Order: sequence, then C-alpha cells, then structure tokens
Amino acid sequence: MTHQFNRRMLCISTAILAITGSVPFTATAQAADTIKLGIVAPMSGPNARYGGFSLRGAELAVKDINDAGGVNGTKIQLFNADSQGTPVEGVSATRRLIDQEGVDFIIGDVSSSVTLAMQPVAEDAEVLLLNAASSNPKITYQAGVGGFKWTYRNYPTDENRALVVAKYAAEQRGFTKFAVLSVDSDYGRSAITFTKKYLPEFKGQILSEDYYKEGEVDFRSVLAKIRDNGAQAIIYYGLADTTPILARQMVELGIAGKVTLIGNGEFNTEKTIKSAPTALEGAVEAAAWLPQFDSPASKAFVEKFTTTYKEAPNNHAYVHWDTVNLLAAAIKQAGSADKSKVRDALSKIKYKSPVGDVTFDDHNQARLPMILLQIEKGVPSIKGAYSADIQYPAK
Amino acid sequence: MLSTVLEQVVNGIVTGSVYAIVAVGMTMIFGVLRAINFAHGEYYMLGTFGAWFAIDYLGLSYEASIVVGVLATIVVAYVVGQLVMRRMVGAPAESGVLATLGIALILQNTVIFVFGGGYKFFSGGYIEPISIFGFSLAQQRILILVVCLVVFVGLELMVTYSRLGMAMRAVSQNVECCEVVGIDVPQVVLRTFILGAALAALSGVLTAPVNVSVYGGMGELITFKTLPIIIMGGLGNVRGTFFAAMILGIAESLVATYVGLQFRDTVGFATLILVLMWRPHGLFSTQARF
Repeated sequence: MTHQFNRRMLCISTAILAITGSVPFTATAQAADTIKLGIVAPMSGPNARYGGFSLRGAELAVKDINDAGGVNGTKIQLFNADSQGTPVEGVSATRRLIDQEGVDFIIGDVSSSVTLAMQPVAEDAEVLLLNAASSNPKITYQAGVGGFKWTYRNYPTDENRALVVAKYAAEQRGFTKFAVLSVDSDYGRSAITFTKKYLPEFKGQILSEDYYKEGEVDFRSVLAKIRDNGAQAIIYYGLADTTPILARQMVELGIAGKVTLIGNGEFNTEKTIKSAPTALEGAVEAAAWLPQFDSPASKAFVEKFTTTYKEAPNNHAYVHWDTVNLLAAAIKQAGSADKSKVRDALSKIKYKSPVGDVTFDDHNQARLPMILLQIEKGVPSIKGAYSADIQYPAK
Repeated sequence: MLSTVLEQVVNGIVTGSVYAIVAVGMTMIFGVLRAINFAHGEYYMLGTFGAWFAIDYLGLSYEASIVVGVLATIVVAYVVGQLVMRRMVGAPAESGVLATLGIALILQNTVIFVFGGGYKFFSGGYIEPISIFGFSLAQQRILILVVCLVVFVGLELMVTYSRLGMAMRAVSQNVECCEVVGIDVPQVVLRTFILGAALAALSGVLTAPVNVSVYGGMGELITFKTLPIIIMGGLGNVRGTFFAAMILGIAESLVATYVGLQFRDTVGFATLILVLMWRPHGLFSTQARF
C-alpha cells in the first residue's frame, strides 16, 4: 500500500514539477526581446571548413547589426547547430533549433543534400528557412509556387553555374572534349546533369564520367584514364578540401598544365593555388562570390572579416554574412519580427547586396549572378558576372 | 592498353602497401586479443597529426616528423594499452568492440577539439614525380612500397625467431597454456598493441604527403578499409594480410579505372562477402584457427 502510494506521489509530483518548470520557461521564451536565428552548418566532418566560415560570416553580420542597435531596436540572438554535412544530422540539428531554442528563422545548410532534407522540417514547423549556400536547383524547384512556402534561397543555382562554365569553356577556351570528375552528392551530380543539358549546344562531348565519395584521397586511377582518353578539361564540381589533393595528383601524373580544371571547388584561394600552381594555372571556376569581387561593400566586408578573424573570408563566409543582412532588411521592411510578415516582405524585397540588387522569383529563388574567374599566373582574375532567369520545368 | 593495366596494378600495389602496414597491426592485435581493434585507424590519424604538428608548429623536417609522429602515437598507445587493452585478455568479445569503439570516438574528438575539425594541409614529403616504366609516380609512393616490404620481412623474422614473436604466436594459440608455462600474457598483449599502433602511425605519416589533407575523421575510413583485408587474409595471419592488402589495392585500382571511381569502396566489402561465403577462415589459412 505504502509502495503504491509512493509511486502515485512520485507521478503527481513529477507532473507538478513539469508544469511549474515549463510555465516560466515558455514565459521567458515569449518575453525575451530578441530575434532568434538558428544556423545549421557542418561544424565537423569533411565539410567542417565550410561550416566554420559560414558561422563566422553570420556572427560578424549579427555583431554589426546588434552593435548598431539591432533591427527595429531588437537584437538578434544566434544559435548554431552542427549538421556534420549529413542529412540525418542536419534534420536533427534543425529540430533541435526549432523545438529547444524556439527559433523563428534558420539559415542553412551548405550541403544541398542536407538542405533538401531540412525543407520539409521547416515547412511543418512553419519556420522560415533561408538557404545561403546550397546550389542544387531542386531546392527552389520545389519552393514557392513549387511547394514549400517557407523555403527561400539567397544563392545562385547549379543550373546557372553549369551553363556559365560550359559556355565559357567552349567559346573562350575552345574545349570540346571533357572528362567528368565530381563529388558523389546532390551538388556534384546535379551540376553534371545540368552540364549535360547545355554541353551539346557548344558541341562538347563527355569522354568519361566519375564521381568520388567525400573523403576520397586517391585519384590516380581516374587521372590516368583522363590522361589517356585525351580530354582537354576536367569538369570538376567538388569540395574545396579535395581540390588540393586532386591538383597534386595531377602534377604527379604529369597532366598539370595539359588538362584544365573547370567547375567549382574553391580553385581561387591562395592555399589551394599554392598546393599545386601548375595544375591550377588556367583553371576556370564559377562562384557565387570571391574576395576579389570589385564593389565597395564587398571590399569592406573582406577587410572587416580579415581584421576580425585574421584570415581572408571564403564564399561561404560571404553568403552567410549577406543572408543575415538580407534577413535583417526583410524584418525592417516588415516592421516586425513576425515570421509570416517577414516571409511576405522577402517575396517583395528589393535588397541591395554587394554583388547587385536581389529580388526573389515566384519559386523563392534569388536572382543572383555567377561570377566567372580564371586562374592566371597564380592569381584569380574575374572574367565577368552572369545571371540567367531559371526556366522551371512545367508541373 | 597493356601499359595502362600495368600502371593501375602498380597504383594498386602502392595503395595495397598502405593498407598492408595498417592491417598487419590490426591482425596481430586480433591474434593475441581475439578482438577487432576498431580504433586502429585512429592511430593512423594520430601519427599523421603528430607529423603535421612537428612540421607546422615545431618547424621540423619531414624525416624528423616521421619520428615525432610515430613516437607520439607510441605514447598514446602505451597509455591506452595499460588502461584498456591489457584488461581485455579473456574478456568477452562484446567488451572489446565497445572499448575500442569508445577509444576511437575519444581519440577522434580529442584531436578535433584541440586542432579544430577542418582539413589541414600536409606540406612535407617527397612529392616530386619520377618516371618509371613510362609512367610517372611520386617518389613518396616508392618510399611507401619499400617501407612496406621492409616491415613485412622484419615482421616475418620477428614472429618466427624473436622471443616476443614466439610469445605472440603462443598467446594467439592458447592463453591458458601460456599462463601455465609462465608467459606474461598482458605484457605480450601490451607490446603487440603498441607495435600495431606504431605501424599504423608509420603508414599514416608515409601516406600524408600524397594524401595532402589531414583531419580528425581520417582514421575511420582506414579502419573500414582494413577490416575486409584482415578477414580475407585470415585473422591473425601476417603473411595472408600482406597478400590480401595487395589484392584489394589492385582490385580497387582496376575498378576505379574501368568501372568508375564511385564504385571503389564497394570492392572491399563485396570481396568480404564473397570470402565469408566461401572461405570464412580467410584466403590464406588452411583451416579456421579460432
């Protein structure tokens, strides 16, 4: 009898504790006078470098906004969660931000595979998901009028990138024979799908097609095949951390300077170029942004980032910095941090970004240019910025 | 055509050499402990990190960094061996799996915690290509091949003639009998473990110049590459491990060339399934020992 009584008491007291515990918690959550912004990024694993830059970029923007008195007088509070670059971890990181931190706005992820998995989670919770760095076209094919109302993307897509690179390689460099070597992910594969869509227009042909797993370190077999099949360029949509490995092995196989790297994978950083200068000479890359981009706002960002972190920013640092500023502009325009009002403001916004004016189309995709660069004498040289309106597939 | 095949075989042998040096340590540890060391790749990572630290922070040469990397790993392996591995003598198989997986997580995350999760750039080594048989190869790869041969000849001699080698074989055959005749089993386990870890570290330091990048999670991939090798070679079988590593290296290289790079990692596990179906005691053991 006493035993039963004790158990009942325990249940009741636990229930009371839970209720009393949760009340002040929800009360503080509502009363807290901050805008809660979550960042989902790969902080560990093979893409940790991207995540580190992303977070720093966002932190810098948040600090500047808060130092200037916040948005409409409200400060932004930043929460970060590690996606490890995998969809499973990305989804649980997103849930953690929504359920535990109670964020209304999320910026994330870098990897397209992770972003695709996060979209339905944000949609269910009606939390505004602003993507700043994933390039798979499908993300906004299925956003806006395409489906997910809470997903926006402030980043150019692989469709634009594939076209720009293929066109430049064919018209300016005269390449017709290509070998594909891309990362085996939604990003790497979709870039190649769109390259194949546009390559025939430029009379280009693909001689071999390989995809590498994240963490691959041995490209000798594939590079030997490429050397023997006579390709003029390697279409490489890969990860920044793999580029130096690939470039060094190109030197090792004696194809550096004979076969050109084209695509995307941070060819333009000093560190990458230094790893194998001969292999990267002449490499062509399309990037959303690079530190050399010539606009006062962009130059000011580079300088500020470099003095704050003692390191030059990369593309991911920039896009996250810019997207936080975009969000702040939308909140300001909405006149409130209410997520539905902010979402409506985003659809109508005309935001002045350092690379040009940004507006969103009916698929919640920002109209942004891709910047084309070529490595000349060991330094990146900008060849132009190209935008294209996306032709969405008819539903 | 023929020269391409030959080139890929040479590539495969070089890759196989890296696998072999790592796997042989794992298989010897299995021999004396009957436990698969899931943290083995982590010693490969530690060796590489030690060498990277020596070059980037201490300004040492690549040659000296090899010594630093291997010595640092030996120190860690000694501590882990004293605290964990020697207690596993006679323990049930599950405890070995749990303990080594735990150690793998601790070592990996400690390194990430101290040095950050990003890729580091390994700048040492002999990466200049030289030309042999009409195709070019980094000097470092030839060094790996030579070291692998030296290691295996040395291990054969040690296992056959030295006191430690004989004790290792004895322990792998029957622990109770060893105790009866006065062999200090935990001591043999500890020494075998340190030797295995040091070999993994050596392999890591030798591979670093051609793999360029160094990061906390790099050991995991190696652990999963070596698992099929030690099973193919016959658990605890030094010579078998050598040939199994070469077979896997060459097979991977040919698959990457003629099928596609994305299928490379399937080779190891596909071979593993075949071996387990037809020769579960390994390709090179006449009968199951355990």
